[in-house]
Amino acid sequence: MFKFPQGLYVDVRIEETFDTKISFKKENLEEQKIRTNKGAFIRVFDGNRWYYSSITNVEDIQEHIDTLAKMATPDPNILQHPIVKAFEVNRDTLIQHDQDSVTDISVQQKQELMESYLALITDPAIVHHTSYYVDNKTIKSIYSSKGTAITFDKQTCGIRLTLELACGENKDQVTVSKAATNFAGIQGQEDFITEEINKSVTFTRDAEPVVPGEYTILLSPEATGVFTHESFGHKSESDFMVGDETMRKEWALGKAIGQELLTIIDDGGEPGSGYTPYDDEGTKSRKTEIISKGILTGRLHSTATSAALEEPLTGNARSINFEFEPIVRMTTTYIAKGNRPLADIVADIKEGIFVETIKHGSGMSTFTIAPARAYKIEQGRITTPLKISVITGSVFEALAEVDAVSSEYQLMTFVGGGCGKMEQWPLPIGFGGPYTRVKKLKVQ
Amino acid sequence: MKQEFIVIREKETAARVQNSSVNAVRIKDIVKKAVRVYENGKIGISGAIGDIGEDALVKGAVENLTAGIDYPYPLTGNNKDHRSYNDKAVSSEELLEMAESILATLQKEYPDFSFSETIASYGMEVEMRNTEGLDLKYSDAICYLGLLLKEKKTANLFDGFISCDGRQFDLNKFWDITRPVLEAYRTPVALPPGDTLPIISFDTSGPLGFLAKSLNGERYATGSSLFTGKMEQQLFNEKVSLEINRNPIFSPKPFFDMEGVVLKDDRYPLIAGGKLVNVFTDKKTAAQYNLPHTGAAAGEYDDMPGLAASWNSPIPLRFQSDSTDLRAALKGQLAVLVISSSGGDFTPDGSFAAPVQVSLLFDGEKLLGKLPEFTMRSHLNKMLGQDYIGTFDNNILYLGDLPNQLQGYYMTIMR
Repeated sequence: MFKFPQGLYVDVRIEETFDTKISFKKENLEEQKIRTNKGAFIRVFDGNRWYYSSITNVEDIQEHIDTLAKMATPDPNILQHPIVKAFEVNRDTLIQHDQDSVTDISVQQKQELMESYLALITDPAIVHHTSYYVDNKTIKSIYSSKGTAITFDKQTCGIRLTLELACGENKDQVTVSKAATNFAGIQGQEDFITEEINKSVTFTRDAEPVVPGEYTILLSPEATGVFTHESFGHKSESDFMVGDETMRKEWALGKAIGQELLTIIDDGGEPGSGYTPYDDEGTKSRKTEIISKGILTGRLHSTATSAALEEPLTGNARSINFEFEPIVRMTTTYIAKGNRPLADIVADIKEGIFVETIKHGSGMSTFTIAPARAYKIEQGRITTPLKISVITGSVFEALAEVDAVSSEYQLMTFVGGGCGKMEQWPLPIGFGGPYTRVKKLKVQ
Repeated sequence: MKQEFIVIREKETAARVQNSSVNAVRIKDIVKKAVRVYENGKIGISGAIGDIGEDALVKGAVENLTAGIDYPYPLTGNNKDHRSYNDKAVSSEELLEMAESILATLQKEYPDFSFSETIASYGMEVEMRNTEGLDLKYSDAICYLGLLLKEKKTANLFDGFISCDGRQFDLNKFWDITRPVLEAYRTPVALPPGDTLPIISFDTSGPLGFLAKSLNGERYATGSSLFTGKMEQQLFNEKVSLEINRNPIFSPKPFFDMEGVVLKDDRYPLIAGGKLVNVFTDKKTAAQYNLPHTGAAAGEYDDMPGLAASWNSPIPLRFQSDSTDLRAALKGQLAVLVISSSGGDFTPDGSFAAPVQVSLLFDGEKLLGKLPEFTMRSHLNKMLGQDYIGTFDNNILYLGDLPNQLQGYYMTIMR
């Protein structure tokens, strides 16, 4: 297909995307956008340095391979380079959405679904609203000079309602969202949407400012997902450890960092927004246990970090789109479910806070969670809604503070937003898990 | 049928840095095009990436007219304005040479740190023209350095940043500030005593992001803005003024909005002397709610223009600098210069809290050392009210030749 130059490693990733966006302002149609696009990312490696090119004219791929090759210094032994040796060679066609493709659903059907949900917005506290339906189907093809030739598809679709609420002087902007990997998965969501709207209105009307301090925190599956992602997920991305002895020592495999009830998994094969059957280097996805029963047992890798740290490939080299090179990222990351019923865990909490939904999170040495809806827990009961700016904790300590995980469990798919890592944002990821109790976090 | 054309061309050469060395070189050549057609009060839009012929896009836009999306507003026309802000862009060769030189110095003089991320040159051209005589063209090129700093002795993901953005890269000025910054990183100091400290920040995106929600004309008119009904009222300290500012001198973005509107002097006041004087609007919001039109249409190249700003194209709000002597304003008190505060937020009523992961002790002129992590807390009304110190042109800490600011407030410290 391509003429790969001698003495160099080369791979080419071609992305064909189909996107729909149908937007409303209140009940009025604002936008109906259907796009098909194509772009490519080319990498050349000479054993010393990488050379990348991102292009929108895919018919020029060969020309760009040749241009990058001229910048590189060929090495006749390139196949013996540890990174090049580590690259998997996969040949596969994995098309999952032939039968339920969003490309086969008419724009009218998509619009009508959205309109049916808009009819549910009747509460007078909702003074304005904007909303959209979106879908994306991406077909990726990856070819390498070692012989990889794979093509796979992935898709998501979803709806998102942004509600402007005014309950007297209490005002807020809230979102209600539902996403799935096919159109059927977002149909019939009337009860969910109505319940979410009602909870948001009640919350805006009744929420009280929190008294800052340290609290026991109970996290919903959504909040558990953000907590896992931010408190530990980013620490498991091994590009941070390459060439850094202190980091490797602090996060040495085999170290106990949580109680036995804690297992954290990253799985690119999990259907949803984090689905990555092959990563952007053509490595097949794995189910990686990062923490097993409280012990650090794995890390997430690209081929380069896997070779540098001499650890197995995990299929976590991902980019947000054809404009960027793959770097180490999470796919679908979650705490494995426990065996305690939620009611039992709540009943144990004398004074604490339940975090139900999340606006955003971040994960440096101090991780943060900004709740959307949170509630007091008093004497084993979830009670008053609370306005909270931010919940913070130390990534070095927080996992050891997890002392209960529920048997109830949910993994989630999303549209809108995603994970950010330096210049690459937003990357679709999946997360979720059980209800999780953390003994002590700071609340502002 | 009226037609409108948008073309964006982006070129980038980026040196990707890992462990203080150039690990990769990335070249980007991206073209994005969109066509809008207008007929009988309706709009149709088509867009694509790649150098697609305009005829195909016009055909797509005409088909999109059948969606029946209203756009009964006059097109901006009769304005030719071509502006180029950098005719001496840093070439790819110069960029790589400069990156190697900077990294070699960092490796030699600061072996206790490792640096990673990007040193890049980025060029862009944005054109918008239509059949009503609109012919706008913005071209620019910037060079940017953004390096994460990691202290080799810590197990943090990173411990700080050094950055510099500009149309030209003044290496002497870069080292004049980078060396004291790196020396300060090497010098741990304690937080000054007291529950309230002056906080100085380069980054005003937190308050601006929160203010943007309530300065949105649609939210103002429909009642969900905190400022609804408060036009001409004193909201903040009388020093505080805020405007839409599309002058590319300050921020390398087009000088026109997504409806082709060019503002007089590239600016429009929203808060003046602490009083609310306008909210921002596009053509639709202005017409629908009888508000002044402020040229604030946002969106991606192929989006319906509107007030819903995308993450990479926010409404360009800017505080006006209102103070000149930061050291004098601190009245001898030592301040906290925030380098990284990630993950904080405002509650809907304006309460604010944020962890400060990286900060330096600062006397208004000199950097004195690196502070431990802490959390800061306040409320928007206090930050821009009684606890407001001022907004200053940043003539102290060189971050490149794009004019930038320092803003200060007294805030509660949680140690």
